Amino acid sequence: MKRPLLDTFRDPRKLSVRFQPIFHIKEGGSRVDSLEALIRGPLGTNFERADLLFDYVRRKKAETAVDQSCVVAIFDAISNLPSHFRVNINVHASTLGKDPSFADFFRTEAQKRSLALDRFTAEIVEHSPTYNVPALLYTIRRLRDSGIRIALDDVGLGHSNYRMMLDCRPDYFKLDAYFVRGLSTDPDRRAVVRSIVSFAKSMGGCVVAEGAESQECLVTLAKMGVELFQANLLCGALSIEGLRANSLLGASASVPLTTTTTEKRNVGRFEYQDQKLLV
Amino acid sequence: MRDRILIIDDDDQLVDAYTEYLSQRGFQVDCAQELEEAQTLLAYFPYSVVVTDLRLSKLGFGGLDLVKHIREQSLPIRIIVITAYGWPELKSELSVQGADAFLRKPVRLAELGEAVCDLAGARA
Repeated sequence: MKRPLLDTFRDPRKLSVRFQPIFHIKEGGSRVDSLEALIRGPLGTNFERADLLFDYVRRKKAETAVDQSCVVAIFDAISNLPSHFRVNINVHASTLGKDPSFADFFRTEAQKRSLALDRFTAEIVEHSPTYNVPALLYTIRRLRDSGIRIALDDVGLGHSNYRMMLDCRPDYFKLDAYFVRGLSTDPDRRAVVRSIVSFAKSMGGCVVAEGAESQECLVTLAKMGVELFQANLLCGALSIEGLRANSLLGASASVPLTTTTTEKRNVGRFEYQDQKLLV
Repeated sequence: MRDRILIIDDDDQLVDAYTEYLSQRGFQVDCAQELEEAQTLLAYFPYSVVVTDLRLSKLGFGGLDLVKHIREQSLPIRIIVITAYGWPELKSELSVQGADAFLRKPVRLAELGEAVCDLAGARA
């Protein structure tokens, strides 16, 4: 018998990590606000794709074990990143709700590598219809006590709904691409986004818009008060070498205008001057 | 586009032999060792034919579980079940559940290739 797939995914050395920048863009300039760490499965396999990897993990109900493996893989990977970079790490809500020791695990692994906890954001992904709310809130509180910020992924879709927003009180509301795409020409989508932006502000958080596909869409979002953007249009997921080659690791790194590496196809151009908005 | 085939068997040597043979015949071949692995692959890739052993004792599930899953999901996939048994009642039960063809062990590779080609070509 070959090695069970789950054992492979529990081994952080079999996982690789890519980083997609989240840009802070406002009139007058842009900068890299943070990096979302994105896990890939074993290279050259079907499970290199994150959607397949985590679909399998959820079918096996092994989110907790694999989330821990991902945390270790990411911590090991970011040892090569400048220490001023904030990093988002995805965690299933079910892990936070089922594993009361997750915050301790996170803190211990970070301390082993001398990584400051306040540079991390735990990005909650939710695919399970039920979760243990008291346990989830307990773990979130423990993470926050350590200086870790909280983001809620896929806001507006599935179980990342208003209840989750109220329960988790995230620092970052990651607006799902479903609401972002076509926003410029769809007043109903704009109404949804306006409502979430307003809700986030009233809770002291901010919105991260994911998946914008056009300059027009970015401009529309900016006019609605969104300042944080994560989209392949701006920059795809890159290795640390790719980030470095695209000059995204400097203290004043901004949205890339030119590319010089083999990963250049992942980096979108960004020209807002004519919109009198940015850069 | 090449037809994509999924193979499930608990005998690694047989899986390797089936994979090599069908790949040489021009198919894109994946294999799975767990029900959840197969379910994930089925959810993401448009397989033409699934080839599964009926008894998968080392894997902790049976070929029938997979047949039921594919039919419950209404996936347009043809299914070949390989079994050491030739009981008419068993074939009848598997047909009712949605299997399309049966091969009796030991399976000759040419026989497998012919069955896969027939079903891949007949896929709706």
